[in-house]
Amino acid sequence: MARYLTRNRLRRIYKWGGFPVSHDRKLKTDEYDSLHISLEDLPRTTVITNGQYILIEGVDDDHPYVAKVTKLIESDKKKKALVQWFARVGEVPPNKLKLLGREPHPQEIFYYEGPTCEDEIDVESILNTVQVHQSLLDDLRSSSDEEEEPQEEEEEEEEEFCASQASMRTPRKTPVKKATPTTPRTPRHATPSIPSRSLPARQPGSALEEARARLHVSSVPESLPCREQEFQDIYNFVESKVMDGTGGCMYISGVPGTGKTATVHEVIRSLQRASDADDVPAFNFIEINGMKMTDPHQAYVQILQKLTGQKATPDHAAALLEKRFSHAGPKKESTVLLVDELDLLWTRKQNVMYNLFDWPTRRHGRLVVLTIANTMDLPERIMINRVASRLGLTRMSFQPYSFKQLQQIIMSRLNKVKAFEEDALQLVSRKVAALSGDARRCLDICRRATEICEHTSLDPGAPGLVGMSHVMQALDEMFSSAYVTAIRCASVQEQLFLRSVLMEFRRLGLEEATFQQVLVQHQALCRVEGLQPPSVSEALAACQRLGACRLLLLEPSRLGVLQRVRLNVSQDDVLYALKAE
Amino acid sequence: HLQVQTLLRERLCHQQLPQRPEGVDSQHKHLMELLKRTAVHGESNSVLIIGPRGTGKTQLLRCVLAELLAEEDVDKTLLQVHLNGLLQTDDRIALKEITRQLSLENVVGDQVFGSFAENLAFLLEALKKGDRSSSRPVLFILDEFDLFAHHKNQTLLYNLLDVSQSAQTPVAVVGLTCRLDVLELLEKRVKSRFSHRQIHLLPSLSFSQYLQAVQAQLHLPDTTFPDTTFCYDWNASLKVDKSVEAVLLRHFNSTKDFRSLHRLLMAILCRVSVNNPTIKPADLLDASRLLSADAMTNVLHGLSILELCLVIAMKHLNDIYDGEPFNLQMVYNEFKRFLQRKSNSLYNFELPVVMKAFEHLQQLEVVRPVDAAAAVAARAQREYQLVRLMLDHSQIMEALQKYPQCPTDVKQWAASAFG
Repeated sequence: MARYLTRNRLRRIYKWGGFPVSHDRKLKTDEYDSLHISLEDLPRTTVITNGQYILIEGVDDDHPYVAKVTKLIESDKKKKALVQWFARVGEVPPNKLKLLGREPHPQEIFYYEGPTCEDEIDVESILNTVQVHQSLLDDLRSSSDEEEEPQEEEEEEEEEFCASQASMRTPRKTPVKKATPTTPRTPRHATPSIPSRSLPARQPGSALEEARARLHVSSVPESLPCREQEFQDIYNFVESKVMDGTGGCMYISGVPGTGKTATVHEVIRSLQRASDADDVPAFNFIEINGMKMTDPHQAYVQILQKLTGQKATPDHAAALLEKRFSHAGPKKESTVLLVDELDLLWTRKQNVMYNLFDWPTRRHGRLVVLTIANTMDLPERIMINRVASRLGLTRMSFQPYSFKQLQQIIMSRLNKVKAFEEDALQLVSRKVAALSGDARRCLDICRRATEICEHTSLDPGAPGLVGMSHVMQALDEMFSSAYVTAIRCASVQEQLFLRSVLMEFRRLGLEEATFQQVLVQHQALCRVEGLQPPSVSEALAACQRLGACRLLLLEPSRLGVLQRVRLNVSQDDVLYALKAE
Repeated sequence: HLQVQTLLRERLCHQQLPQRPEGVDSQHKHLMELLKRTAVHGESNSVLIIGPRGTGKTQLLRCVLAELLAEEDVDKTLLQVHLNGLLQTDDRIALKEITRQLSLENVVGDQVFGSFAENLAFLLEALKKGDRSSSRPVLFILDEFDLFAHHKNQTLLYNLLDVSQSAQTPVAVVGLTCRLDVLELLEKRVKSRFSHRQIHLLPSLSFSQYLQAVQAQLHLPDTTFPDTTFCYDWNASLKVDKSVEAVLLRHFNSTKDFRSLHRLLMAILCRVSVNNPTIKPADLLDASRLLSADAMTNVLHGLSILELCLVIAMKHLNDIYDGEPFNLQMVYNEFKRFLQRKSNSLYNFELPVVMKAFEHLQQLEVVRPVDAAAAVAARAQREYQLVRLMLDHSQIMEALQKYPQCPTDVKQWAASAFG
């Protein structure tokens, strides 16, 4: 018979074949042994029994799901079926396919054992039967949750359906109640990982490379120099709370790069060693970071997940944590919670911070909270009274490093690797200490100095020690602002434009002028210099280029010739740059 | 000559990579060493490439990458993620893009599953599990870096830079931007985690180097080009004479970067055809004139006489009222004064016709309303809404000089309001 691709809306009628085989009184369900599907006005009926493979409506008409019927039941007047799901080739994530070790056949299906899919489906979503052949292939078992047994599948095309090509293509007239989850293929068990390399990374060879590896910010030493006092204070605080089984709050502040998070980690490491040796009761350590969250309320979700492994919505997680910290539990361990970047957990009602500081005050909570932020007066500035009072007065402030401390840090990192000259180290420490006291900055500059030393050495085999010149070049690179160089490298018209901006400012006595006024000066200046004055468009383009680099601050360019112009560099710098020509 | 077209267009329009970009050797070396150390030694780093628009930042990066990936073991180990601040306008979108490009396990086909929070947690977990010696290094390239600094809390930047400073998967974060003050945009925590390495690409060509570059751009390779006589003639015709030098000097004074040079050379190349197989200096002159013509003057050439008169009337109002905004009624009165006093050739137009002409000027953005929101709400009557003229007087005078068949009394009126 001819097959038409018409979208004839044919309704499928589902009927049980015969009487119920058994009745479950508890669940109030009836079990049947066969199901009849017939299309409206057509004589043919498909019979489905237990153990047959069926096609189920999928995301779109061309990709139905495949499953095997295990039971046919009726409950509450609704026809349902329990099935065993199979995954088609297209539904398996590519990295699992790679585990197969060979190219899968396009019609191949895999046994899906993920517990995430509901086994009960609405019978109305069954489309048709399908034949599945089990081919004689090796049984490949992957180590992941999804068990894969390769089986060949053959589509059974129904020749007798004349009105539509295959029953998969008839759109449903009645809305289908999706008892199945709409995306049963969501990889709920995806494991986060970056693929690993085939050859291991090269180890450092020369002394300079070794120095560079040690000076990297990430190679944090076991014990931080120059932070012994702070380490002791935090250690005493946490140890006392854990030994007593009480809760408490501590607020640690300091500018970035002063070793706050590293010190707390060190404290926890030594406490864990002590608890392994049974000097201190065992405890849980959890760490959250305000910047690593998309929303303050995600804090609850993360804490719950790290404590118990449960996943929940923020509100539910908050409720569960509340219950956990309020009620006494048998043999409960202390929990030490580190909250990094506390200021990002601020909400208008401040309830996240309130909860974080309130739970330690519960008698049975046994929660010790260590919070880290940058400003010393954060509690007074952004917290309302009750939150600040629960945070308490146990505060610790990490001062920026002095130059001696920076020097000591670098020396202890290098630890007998001879790579730096004495005065070079001193220069770096003094410079960084004068500016910010940030240890990260110091380490990065030293690293850059080693790189420069390596590149500029005449003999690549023996680069020698890092000297003053290298360090000065590194400092120059990393501390400079390139405004003066940028002005010197600008084109003639751009430089003239800057000069006319200065002239116009002097004429007006203001720090701001419109482009039109500057243009007048610019054209006059061009005539003085003997150059052809630019057209308005050209001058606008030059102005835009200077604005893109932020040498000038401009209003939006839709204002055209009426936009106002301001300098982003000081006038002296501009004059200095232009004079040196 | 078709091959000429293909070859040169490929060079000029398709941003074909040169063997080695000129004048940026030290920057090339710096970037190359940095990326090599990440790929081979597993050392994390972050760097910013700063330079004005069109100076070749992306080109430098692509050259370095091409050279780096030529080594087979680097090609097999290095993972790349390319992000652009203009495409990924939000951290949510950026995260999905990163996850998709890294083909992490929560990607099926092309679709990334999970909410924003889940994606972030998943990515951070994945990067945290790696370590220096056994994970493949990841190279993050952030084009238009300054736009990423405008995202909420700068979470993406913080996290990427934090990974580059922790003992996790080795990453290299390369940012490209044209703003010189980009470091001021970073929050103090993000700034502390950034390693402050900057590579500045500032064009420092002298004019003679520029001329050589022009010749090099148009030069056909002797060895690979099929038709050698044509090639020889072409290259011979590329000598620089006085007029060519003058034109190129004007262009060089305006801007030094190569993107606008390519635009100029493309305009010349478009004139090369079968009938016209070589480049002549006149071509260069025409192309230069085309590119440096004033945009608004060209618009004015297309206006009707009535519209032109309205523009001149507005010019006079600007002179009288010293740049204050005016409305249509005032312009119309000024125009009527001209008609009464001086005009013989112009018809005495009615207000609705004048208003239509005025609206046309507004559409062309020759005039703009002072308060755009009120104009849309149309609170005041149309004739009384204040507008400003967006043209400079020099543009109007220049347009009038070249305006075809301009009536003389209009020209005289433009020159002086009183005469």
